[in-house]
Amino acid sequence: MIELHDVWRLYRMGGETINALASIDLKVSEGEFVTIVGPSGSGKSTLLNIIGGLDTPTMGRIEVDGQDLSKASDRELSLYRNKKVGFIFQTFNLQPTHTALENVSLPLVFAKVPLWRRKRIAREVMKTMELSDRLRHKPNQLSGGERQRVAIARALVNDPKILLADEPTGNLDSKTGEQIMELLTRLNKERGITLLLVTHDLKIADYADRMLRMLDGQIAEAVDRRQAL
Amino acid sequence: MSFLDLVRNAFSNLRRRKLRSFLTISAVVIGASLVSLLVSLGIGAQQFLTAQIKAMMPPDTVMVASSKEAFDIGLGGVGFGNAPEEVSDDGGVPFSLEPLTLQEIEAVRALEHVERVDPFVRLTAESVKLQGSDKNFRTRIRPMPQYQVEDTELVAGRYLTEGSRRECIIANQYLDSFGLEQPEDAIGKEVIIRVRQAISFIGLPSEVMDYNFGIVGVTEKTLSSTQIIISIEDGMEISRFWADNPAWYTDDIPPAILQVKLEDSGYADQVAQAVEDLGLGAITSNDVLGLIGTIFTIIQTVLSAFGLIALGVASLGIINTLIMAIYERTREIGVMKAVGASRGTIRLLFTMEGVIIGFLGGIIGVGIGYALGLAINSISHTTFLKDFETFNISTFPWWLMVGVIALSTIVALAAALYPAHRASRLDPIEALRYE
Repeated sequence: MIELHDVWRLYRMGGETINALASIDLKVSEGEFVTIVGPSGSGKSTLLNIIGGLDTPTMGRIEVDGQDLSKASDRELSLYRNKKVGFIFQTFNLQPTHTALENVSLPLVFAKVPLWRRKRIAREVMKTMELSDRLRHKPNQLSGGERQRVAIARALVNDPKILLADEPTGNLDSKTGEQIMELLTRLNKERGITLLLVTHDLKIADYADRMLRMLDGQIAEAVDRRQAL
Repeated sequence: MSFLDLVRNAFSNLRRRKLRSFLTISAVVIGASLVSLLVSLGIGAQQFLTAQIKAMMPPDTVMVASSKEAFDIGLGGVGFGNAPEEVSDDGGVPFSLEPLTLQEIEAVRALEHVERVDPFVRLTAESVKLQGSDKNFRTRIRPMPQYQVEDTELVAGRYLTEGSRRECIIANQYLDSFGLEQPEDAIGKEVIIRVRQAISFIGLPSEVMDYNFGIVGVTEKTLSSTQIIISIEDGMEISRFWADNPAWYTDDIPPAILQVKLEDSGYADQVAQAVEDLGLGAITSNDVLGLIGTIFTIIQTVLSAFGLIALGVASLGIINTLIMAIYERTREIGVMKAVGASRGTIRLLFTMEGVIIGFLGGIIGVGIGYALGLAINSISHTTFLKDFETFNISTFPWWLMVGVIALSTIVALAAALYPAHRASRLDPIEALRYE
């Protein structure tokens, strides 16, 4: 499903070269749940962004679902982000002036789905997120958990194969965080969505099939929890 | 992203910052209304002058003289855009119009598409007065062939009949001069036209002759406010006295200028060419209108330059507004990219916002320009243009409206290109981190 071969991502910062990713080799199979942990600056987010097609490797090859992202054009990458992956952010990144329904519909706009179908699809997805009574609410009228569920609905609305979550519980209290984690686990188990989740909360890593610990742009440790159990 | 969604998105973003959008659009509105109003005034003035010239020189006629320069003398040396001609020491006398020969006149008459040929009769009258009054007024006597008389709009009375003698049609403005209330009051009255011979011997008073004419018609108001229309036959008789030469307009001294009526105005240039091939000079109303057109193009360019400057300033406002919008929406742009917007889509989003600003500004601007034009028209009709009710100084043809809206849209589009490019180049990862 996801394959990275010798992937490097270099940044130039004030004449200094920083290896955000240094020779990453990684395989994630379909339906797997992988958490990525590590200190800040270890390259977890960069790895997620490269898998999500928001960033491209400086060197190396990345292939997702048979598509070579390292050679893809901007247009191909946008299509890939639109159809194949869904992003979930720590700060939700909802559009404050838009209603929950409009926020969920946003990816459909770029998929050129007509307005009436957008509304129907978005309403459907929000129903599965138990947000049916929150369609017309603006983000500031929603609780943190509701906001993250709206964001998850937005990530799911184009029926992606992969969910990429960057600290999805970081802005939530522990109880709400647990609910969100249960929701994500259920999506992974019941719908077979491949889930990559960046966190520095080791408790959350417990939900995953596999845990990768990153340090200085490299995968320092990989723990297969299925085997460990 | 569909076109409809682009438009929808642009409108929703403009609504988010109402005051700023209003101010940005207002700048476009000022530019667009200035351009449209100023051009409409130019068009109105040009249409008015064109109509007046067509009344003096119908489009289906060609004036023929021995050479093109002859007209120049007749028109007081306008030059028709040519470099001034060199003249010999004894040449260039204003009255020395060379008469055409009888053969030349016959040759012109025989040309294809020529319907009839009349002499163009020149004469100058000293004054005119109403019979029984002692107030003299300036006048310009216009001997006209029948068909041209009938192109003139009358407000009272009738046209001259073919070959009629001592009948005249007076310009509307004489009603005021003569102290007549209604146009109908003039019909049946007589005017006395006083003609003084053009050439007098030094020391002797020149000879004067009075001609009585019955008024049969009154024209509508035109720029030719001093004209009195008489028949060609009367004109030739008076002209002979005026020039003190009984041979004028006879076979001995044929006319110097011919007014040639064509089957259709479309033949004007063709016949003019044929006349020139005969070695004669010809002008058509197109020549005169072309000159006026050139003058007005210059005037309109200068006038619309003010509006264009305003539009240019407005485009700076658009650039500013859109760059501000990039800063406000950096995070939103990041999210859009994350969920599938390409660089091209982001570029289109911002370009469309500029286009909508320009389009709305253009429509409102043209509307305001049009309304101001109507106001100017109605004010002018009660004040300085009281005598020309049919003349609208501000004229809005459809192409002006469409043109100004298109112009402001294009200017706004051009202004949006840079901000749109900048927005599209935002790194999504940076944008998502932006606070």
